[in-house]
Amino acid sequence: MDRSELLNTFQRMATEIAEKDFSHVTEEHVIADLGIDSLGMLELVGSMERELKIAVPDEQLVGIQTVRQLLDLVEKRTRASA
Amino acid sequence: MASDQFHEKLYKNFTTFFDKAEQERRWNPYRDVPWDRINPETPAFVATCAETFLGVESFLPDYIRKGLEAVRASSWAQRSFSANWGYEELKHSIALMEYLVRSGKRTQEQMFDFQAKLMTEEWRRPFDTARQMTIYGSFQEMATFVIYLRHEALAKQYNDEALAAVYRFNARDEIAHARFYEDIVKVYLEEDREGTLRDIAHVAKNFEMPGVGIVPDYDARIELMREHGHVDRDVFLQKIYFPVLKYLGVTRQELVEVARREREERRAAAAQ
Repeated sequence: MDRSELLNTFQRMATEIAEKDFSHVTEEHVIADLGIDSLGMLELVGSMERELKIAVPDEQLVGIQTVRQLLDLVEKRTRASA
Repeated sequence: MASDQFHEKLYKNFTTFFDKAEQERRWNPYRDVPWDRINPETPAFVATCAETFLGVESFLPDYIRKGLEAVRASSWAQRSFSANWGYEELKHSIALMEYLVRSGKRTQEQMFDFQAKLMTEEWRRPFDTARQMTIYGSFQEMATFVIYLRHEALAKQYNDEALAAVYRFNARDEIAHARFYEDIVKVYLEEDREGTLRDIAHVAKNFEMPGVGIVPDYDARIELMREHGHVDRDVFLQKIYFPVLKYLGVTRQELVEVARREREERRAAAAQ
């Protein structure tokens, strides 16, 4: 999965969970600014883990602020599980 | 209706908790805090933080009354815990008020005025059921424990051993309360895992600390406490949320799954 597909997955999952449109979201966005709090982010990560069949350790989720940081982490875990 | 095993397990949890409290954790706010080691040079903002803790702790009459209403029909153990909890929490506000007056940061009159102002507001119970309130207690007591510890470190930084001791005593009670609540949540999980997981997800999603909207100047006070206590959203995840889930034996993935099932059920119901 390339980076744009990963961003699409993020947008789709966020839309599904928060029930509002996130198709405009870019990697530069700060997650909290999108109205997604820390627990919302965990739900989002959990959904991505499920779909991409990866596991992200809890401690690696601490300090994630932007969409880019989150996608970096997911990408890294996807590569690790390949 | 809960099973006999539910009541037996809770009874055992409470008697273990109470016995340990009687043996190891009783303290006297007038005698056990080293009041002669107050540092008169401690900055004013540190006292403001202590006053904020006091403000939150001072809604004890509401916490007891409304908390007890939630659990009184649930079990003997939870009713009894609530009674003991109220006694232990009372000492927290006594100790904080003693500090503020003995340190000269506030007068007794200012304290009475502060208390009167607080009581113009009323705490509202954030969740309806005994199970939800028990889950809420797990997160809230753990959060309070962590914040007290952060401020104990701050008091030590200013060589105020009396204030550090107040925070240490309060924190020790808070973690004991958190553990009791968590142990009860474990029993709830054994009784009804799906329902309890749904409640955990619900409580976590709607969690707020108890002083929100009722302690005067709450936002400014909390900003000050966060800044000096180094408490941010990562601390919530790292020190509160993940440790509580781990202790309960609940994974993030389980909570994601129940949230997904709830969403699907809600949409199916709306489509009918």
